[in-house]
Formats: sequence, structure tokens, C-alpha cells
Amino acid sequence: MTFQALYTLTDLRVILRETAPNHMLDETQRAQALRLLDNLERQVASLKQEMLK
Amino acid sequence: MRCGMGIEARQVNELFINIDPIQAGGRLTADAMKAVIAYGDGYSVCDNCRKPNRLDYISKPPIAEFHRDVAAWLNMDSVRTVPGARRGFQAVANTYIKKGDPVLLTSLSHYTEFLAIEETGGIAREIPHDPAHKITADATAMKIEEVMREFGRVPVLAFIDHVDYQYGNMHDVKAIAKVAHQYDIPVLYNGAYTVGILPVDGTDLGVDFVVGSGHKSMAAPAPSGVLAATKERSAEVFRTTTIEGDVTKRKFGIKEPEMMGCTLMGATLIGMMASFPHVKERVKHFDRELENNRMVLEALLSVSGTKILSEYPRNHTLTRVDTIASFDSVAESHKKRGFYFSGALEEKGIVGVIPGATKVWKFNTYGATTKQAAFLADAFVTIATDNGLILNK
Repeated sequence: MTFQALYTLTDLRVILRETAPNHMLDETQRAQALRLLDNLERQVASLKQEMLK
Repeated sequence: MRCGMGIEARQVNELFINIDPIQAGGRLTADAMKAVIAYGDGYSVCDNCRKPNRLDYISKPPIAEFHRDVAAWLNMDSVRTVPGARRGFQAVANTYIKKGDPVLLTSLSHYTEFLAIEETGGIAREIPHDPAHKITADATAMKIEEVMREFGRVPVLAFIDHVDYQYGNMHDVKAIAKVAHQYDIPVLYNGAYTVGILPVDGTDLGVDFVVGSGHKSMAAPAPSGVLAATKERSAEVFRTTTIEGDVTKRKFGIKEPEMMGCTLMGATLIGMMASFPHVKERVKHFDRELENNRMVLEALLSVSGTKILSEYPRNHTLTRVDTIASFDSVAESHKKRGFYFSGALEEKGIVGVIPGATKVWKFNTYGATTKQAAFLADAFVTIATDNGLILNK
């Protein structure tokens, strides 16, 4: 799960690179970012549960 | 934000459009970033190293397959990974050059090719470029004849850059290699700015070696690169060790002296491997990169007095411009002098132009999206008009 979260953050990092310097996301990029952020929240929640059990 | 004591997290490519001429093709793909996260430990790719204990034989991760794939992609017989293109030059130079041997390179060659020759005691002889800053087959033939008159023999090796680092000009390697081979001179193709950027076919070019740079053009971490060879030359440059210890009688299997055994053993190799499928795909779309480059150059040329010093129309995205009669004329009276230009670019979110440079400078648009290229084009024009420069009608 650690890697999954890191990789999701990496995909978000790539969006930042592709939209530099103003980071004005188009519709497709917004949808992709939203999906990645949702995944990240789930991955962090799972990580919390696994590590603190 | 820091990632270690005294080490700021680097966010250049997240916060800015980076047009640094040497950094454009080496930016990592998402897969390379992910692979580097997992394989950052020193000998990380060596977990499953089995006999005959050599990097290019490891099958998990698929390093052996990667070597075969890169050789096929370059249409050469064999490949080794090396810690940067310069180590590829060095391996070939060490194999063929002896003290006092004449060696051919060009008046636009990278300094590391000179150093590779110097280390062997060879003597560098440059093929001069023509007034358009191009290296031609005719100039190559003339230089070989000149070397023969001077040394009584032909050069033992020729280093030819397909695209040079000074102008980003594309040179006719195929014709040059044909001439060199008429004199039995092996040819090393320097693809530091082409392998991983545009299609390269070593067999079609008729060269003996192809050298590429991972960190310059294959979306890989530094230092990384590839050295490919024909079958005939592989036996020479990738020869295996024969040395034996006199006390222990130890021998060292199939290790290769020019590679110093194994080469890239961790994040560098895995990064290059992870990017490779994307790199194979991106070289097919180099025309899009040239189109973005053209958009930026047209904007620069719209500023009266700006000249393109590289060949034009462009065959590569690395471009040298002369703005003495445009942006530099502002520097003369600006309170920030020449730094106004890079400062204005940075304020707009653009980096990579040498701070203070307003006379002759280079940039590379490779990897910019079309939106980013349009942004760059607009930024140059806006900085010009903001500073009272005239736009061509």
C-alpha cells in the first residue's frame, strides 16, 4: 500500500509537470486528478489501518 | 521543503517550463519515477543475479531482455548500458586508440570525445564545419587525406555527432560513415541528442557503434547511457577478461574489461528500463516536437533583430539563437542589465536560459506540451513588447 500511495502521488506530480507553470487543468486532467486524489485517500486510509492495527 | 540535510526538494519541472538545452530529453517518465522509488538501494537490481554473474544476463528484473530490445531498436547486434555516453566513448577509445594515433572528430564535437582520446594518448584531428555549421562527407574526406599526409596513415577511429550540442544541427552521418569506411576507419555515432529523441537505425546509418545518453535523451536518471555495436566490433569492445592472479590463480569469468565488469546496478538502470517503452513510442512522434519548436521560433523571429543561428527550418528542438539586436539591446540600459531577460522569463514561470544571457543562447523545447509551447511563444513576445522592442509585421 505504501508503494501504491507513492505511485498515485507520482501520477499527480506528472500532472503538475504537464500543466506548469500555471497548473490550469483542462476537463480531462481535472477528472484524472480527482480520480487520483480519491485513490490516494483510500490508500492512505488502508495504510493507516494496516500499520496501526 | 527539504529531502535531506541541506538538500532542498527540487521542483523545477513541477513549477516551471524548463527549456534548459541539456535537460529536456532526460526528464523522467512517471514509470521511471516509480521504478526509482522502488529500486533506490545500491545493488537493487542484483537480487537475482546468477551465474554467469553479469548485469546483462539478469532476467529478473528483465535486464537481459532490455539489452536485447535496445539492440533491436537501434538495429545493432549488441548493447551494453554505460554510466553516460562519455563512458561509451571511453570504452571504444580504449579499445582502438594507442598513443600517438590520429583520431577523427569534428569542430562541433563534445568535449568528452576529446577527453576520451586524450586519455589514450591519441591525437585529435577535427573535421571543420562549413559556413552553415554542418559537417559534410566532403570535408571528412579532405580531413582524412590531410591526416594521411601528416601521419602517413589513416585515423584509427572517427567520432561523429549526429546532432551537435552547439547548434543542434543534424549532420549527414550516413554519408560521412560511407567515406570513413572507404578508408577502413570505424565510426562511432554519437547519439547523445538523438537516441531516445528520434528514430535511430545504426545499420542503415552504416556505423560501427551507436552511443546514447540516458540522462540526456532517454528519460533516465544520471549517469546512464547505452553503447551498441555491430557483431564484428562487439567482439573487440566487449571482449571478456583473460587476467589471472599469480597467487590465487583467480579468473573473472565473462566480465568485460571495458565495462569494468557490471555497469549500472540500481536506480539508473531501472529508470532507463522503465522509461524505455515510452521512449520507443515517443521517437515516432518527433514531428510534434518540431511543430512545437517551430511555434516558439516563429514568435522569437517576430521580434525584430532576432536571428536563428541553427539550421532553419529545424531538424531538432535544441536551438541556438542570436538576440544581440533584440533582447540584448534592452540589457544595455536596463537596471538589471542582461539579467532582466532571464528574470522576466522566470517571473512568467520559464527557466533554463542561462541567467544574464541576452546575446547568443540556446534552448530546447523538447517535451513541452503544445499548450506550454504556446505559452513560451507568448512569453517571448510579451517580454519583447514590454521592453519596447519592435515586432516584425
